[in-house]
Amino acid sequence: MGPGSQHSSVDLGSLEPGTHLCAFHRDDGQLVRSSSTFVGQALAAGDQLLYVASDDQVDGLLAALADDVPVDDALASGQLLVRSFADAYGTRRPGDLVAIADGFRAAAERSREDGFPALRVAARMDGLVDLLGSPAEVLRWERASTALQREIGVSSVCHYDLRLTDDELVGLLVGEHDGLSPEQADAPLATFVPVGDPWGLRVLGEVDLSNRDALVRVLRSRAVVAPRLRVDLAGMTFADVGTLTRLHGVAAGLPGDGWLVLGDAPPVVRRALAVAGLGHERMRLEP
Amino acid sequence: MTAALTTTTAPATHSALVYDDPDQYAREVGGFLRDGLACGHRALVIAPSDRIARLRAHLGAEADPVTFVDDSIGYAPQWNCYRVLLDFAAKAPGVRCCVVAEQRLATRVPAEVLDYRRLEAAINLVFAAHPVDLLCPYDGAGLADDLLEIGLRNHGVLLEDGDPCANDHFHDPLVSLTALAAVVPPPAGAATLDCRQPADVAAARGLVRSSGVAAGLDPDTVDDVSLAVTEVLTNALVHGAPPARLHLYDAGPTWVCHVHDGGRGPMDPLAGLLPPVEPADHGYGLWLARQLCTAVDVGADRTGTHVRLHARTTR
Repeated sequence: MGPGSQHSSVDLGSLEPGTHLCAFHRDDGQLVRSSSTFVGQALAAGDQLLYVASDDQVDGLLAALADDVPVDDALASGQLLVRSFADAYGTRRPGDLVAIADGFRAAAERSREDGFPALRVAARMDGLVDLLGSPAEVLRWERASTALQREIGVSSVCHYDLRLTDDELVGLLVGEHDGLSPEQADAPLATFVPVGDPWGLRVLGEVDLSNRDALVRVLRSRAVVAPRLRVDLAGMTFADVGTLTRLHGVAAGLPGDGWLVLGDAPPVVRRALAVAGLGHERMRLEP
Repeated sequence: MTAALTTTTAPATHSALVYDDPDQYAREVGGFLRDGLACGHRALVIAPSDRIARLRAHLGAEADPVTFVDDSIGYAPQWNCYRVLLDFAAKAPGVRCCVVAEQRLATRVPAEVLDYRRLEAAINLVFAAHPVDLLCPYDGAGLADDLLEIGLRNHGVLLEDGDPCANDHFHDPLVSLTALAAVVPPPAGAATLDCRQPADVAAARGLVRSSGVAAGLDPDTVDDVSLAVTEVLTNALVHGAPPARLHLYDAGPTWVCHVHDGGRGPMDPLAGLLPPVEPADHGYGLWLARQLCTAVDVGADRTGTHVRLHARTTR
């Protein structure tokens, strides 16, 4: 199966970095649902999310997100960015593929430097046909994006308005993407919220076999930027022992001046740590 | 110290004392501890509170260097006594320890007694190379014959009037453990959940929580059993073969979370009796389950591996 040949909705919870998705909406409600699903899953995984839209287009999204993820925190920490097309890609001319590729690469690099494991992008494609001049140019642009995103590990969803896109183009667009982004998804078992001050991460929910490697991925991305990490566990409701041995492994992998503080661990997590007997000189519980 | 250093290299001993009355208990156990202390050994007693009181009274100031652990802690759950022993030994590596270990066996339900049989048999193998002299007192006047039989079967030495005597009734511990690993299939009325992927572990945990509360377990026990089920089911998904199934049911005085998978399971009957030496990715599952549940059955049949995690529904 070549790229774009799988047309069913993908599982956002196990999204490979570099996956290029599309979504089609008949009305604004559907747009908000599918876009808040993609954005919510990205934020829960601890990735940075760049939403390419105008400010007035973004209000509905933020309102829809507010129930599921800490949007204010995500905006404050820079995890959630809202940018116009020109700001996001460093050019006002969508036809300038070289400039756009450079802008994309720079954004992905900045994301890693800011301590996020990966960058995901959600973009509204309204008016792209008009801007680029023809459906053929849109398809060329999408094909170039698929290759670029795979190369730099950036996943994205392109939101197309069915009222502005004819059936033939819809079929061709589907063919240029890795799959369809779902309108709805199960709530993730845990949400990993990167925190800037104190540097680290907040964990909400349960961590086990299904998501403990995702937790490690976020922690390592934070540790690369600054090796003194505080993991706020007040909202953690379960951790299996594999999660705790992995936290131990992250602590053991920190440089000598680094540390991993487990803040406000609830009784259920303290109990698991005590029974497993896991301790490390660079890992400590506070209080 | 010379005596201590030379005796650390001797193999472990595992002795039983069948006592008829409290005076005999104090005299024989007190003598065992005195002998050990006189050789420079460290001393640990895990016992019911009334036994500890009797020993303290008998030993007087000689009890000062002895570490006492109440059986309500040392045997909660039963396999915790291995950990208490390991932690005690780790405080002075290389120094020989004399250890007295006894619990109120008569209060144990059948699933716990079965696990205690395994515990007493496995001590002979698990601690064989450790510098430790273990004495397990059995209340000859208060315990039923089947419980006293555990003492006779699993100890190479019987203490009689202070003298260690070879025990003719001693059984090969590996043979005993193999016989004790028989599998009990889940009953027809069990609630069952199929688990195929990592996300199913959370669903299993949810079912254990809601069913455990309904079964009348207290919240801390529900948390412990949820963690134990998570670990064993994770093992089944990662190391076993599909399908992995969780069955929940009552078995008399215990509530059982039964994890069954199609794999060949751990072949070593001693797997998971001790913690991993270094923090590792795996190796915690069964050991942790034994630290969290009141009894743990591990066995295999032609359908695969069975791990039964018991929680007491009665006290």
